[in-house]
Amino acid sequence: MNARRAQAIVAAALARPELLSSWQQEPELLRDYGVDPRIFDLETMWKFVGLMVKVRHNKLRVQLPMTFRLMTIGELEIEVFASYATHQAIAGRSLSDTSEARLTDLLSFLEHWLNFERHEHTLLWDLIRHEEALTRLSAAARLAPKRMAAKSLQQVILNPNHIPRICGDVVLLTMRSDPRIACATLRDTSPQLSEVPLGTFHFCYWRPDDADEINIVELDEVGFYTLSLSSGKRSIGDLSKMFGGGRRPAKQFLDVLRELAAVGVLMFDTKP
Amino acid sequence: MFGSNLDAVKSLNSRSRETKIGLAYGLGVPEFICTNPGLVDYLEIPFEQLRHAPHLRSIQESIPLLLHCASMSVAGSVPPSDETLEEIREEAERTRTPWIGEHLAFIAADALETASNTLGTPTALTYTVCPQLSEDAVERVLENVAKLRSRYDVPLILENSPQYFSIPGSTMSMVDFIAAVFSRCDLGLLLDLTHFLITSLNTGTDAFEQLAQLPLERVVEIHISGVNVQSGVAWDDHSIPAPSLVFKLLEHVLDRARPLALTLEYNWSPYFPETILREHIQRLRHLIGRL
Repeated sequence: MNARRAQAIVAAALARPELLSSWQQEPELLRDYGVDPRIFDLETMWKFVGLMVKVRHNKLRVQLPMTFRLMTIGELEIEVFASYATHQAIAGRSLSDTSEARLTDLLSFLEHWLNFERHEHTLLWDLIRHEEALTRLSAAARLAPKRMAAKSLQQVILNPNHIPRICGDVVLLTMRSDPRIACATLRDTSPQLSEVPLGTFHFCYWRPDDADEINIVELDEVGFYTLSLSSGKRSIGDLSKMFGGGRRPAKQFLDVLRELAAVGVLMFDTKP
Repeated sequence: MFGSNLDAVKSLNSRSRETKIGLAYGLGVPEFICTNPGLVDYLEIPFEQLRHAPHLRSIQESIPLLLHCASMSVAGSVPPSDETLEEIREEAERTRTPWIGEHLAFIAADALETASNTLGTPTALTYTVCPQLSEDAVERVLENVAKLRSRYDVPLILENSPQYFSIPGSTMSMVDFIAAVFSRCDLGLLLDLTHFLITSLNTGTDAFEQLAQLPLERVVEIHISGVNVQSGVAWDDHSIPAPSLVFKLLEHVLDRARPLALTLEYNWSPYFPETILREHIQRLRHLIGRL
């Protein structure tokens, strides 16, 4: 086969991963172009697409330095980006223009593609959401006007009519690993990803109203769901009922609310 | 970070025979150069980057630029537009680059007639691809190079590609392909040692033995970057440091040749560790006796 023809076929496959995918599934389709399918290394071509697409995501390394480090150490980059390229191409989507949109697209793909039975896939899912949360809150900090910090009202005697309100911006994430441990591991010279323990973790990424720094608060389940449900409209009584109690909140629930208020992430309004 | 007076540009002295050390452009690299004045001699910058972000030209007030290119598709059958070639010429003139580095690869190809492409639109890629390694491809390279060289006032030098997979119809090895091209034209070689090592790893050959078969006397510039083995294949990786094997290959080359420029391509991540970057620059200085 002459160079011109061979390179035309290879280029088409690399530029259009959906076409390459169809050839991988049904190599005989290549005979339509007058070539023997056995002479094309379709699998390595597919991996090469992964390299091409990975390179096109280099700008995301600004937001996702540890995620990329994890993918390198865990030998995931080629597999992830080749699969991503194929997925997007089959859906008829081209790569988004901005880093923010590319990050959203990648997250949306990974959520369905990752195999959470695989340790390194679980770590990847947690770490990318960790860095995305930090990115999102940092961007919010740059855009938002500074607000006065809410005065802590933990001294107030809470009643069912008080309305818990979140002070600042939060991102709430449940994870199977602690990304802070994963990051520390990845900073080692020879990181051992298998040593990052798995479990159930509830995190609140929180930027207070009056500050630029982002705090990561580890919560128990009740604290996590209390913040999740604190819409600024529901009263303590409403929340208590949502947790399966009566309108009069249990002491343990009030303790959780006071603790969150003591940290500063929650304050209480009274009904007008 | 950089000013904007384009009259005050710096340039590499093209007559100097001293080996210069430079970095490839990437996020974070201009800042490193600013905070480490005099540590490197030049910044290698892709034509495509300058085209996309013309404001980067002002970097040249602080450090000479070396122009690199990925648009000529030297080993391809679809030439770039006249407009692109003219822009490359203008950029070469503006940057006062002593040469233009281009890949011995293709980045565009003939259209493949499919149900959704009936117009015959050529396929454009975003990354250069190692061509078919054959006499047919050698002829094409020579034809393209002959046309391209006449357009530019500075020499064109060609960079060896990494081979990840073989293009059907290939009849020769990478070193034979390079040797065939360079034996029939008087071009300079941009020897990417990482690409070279990757090709050896992926094709199961001995890099040191293969190196001896290259026209090393033609080496003008050398590229160095990291290697990452994933999914059973060795890949180019500009976000990690070059392995010691690449430096060993460099020592072998320096025993036989004296390139004019050594470029560290650590430009994919803005967080490339500065300590390693400084260490590798010192290592290069040591190897060329510039300590």
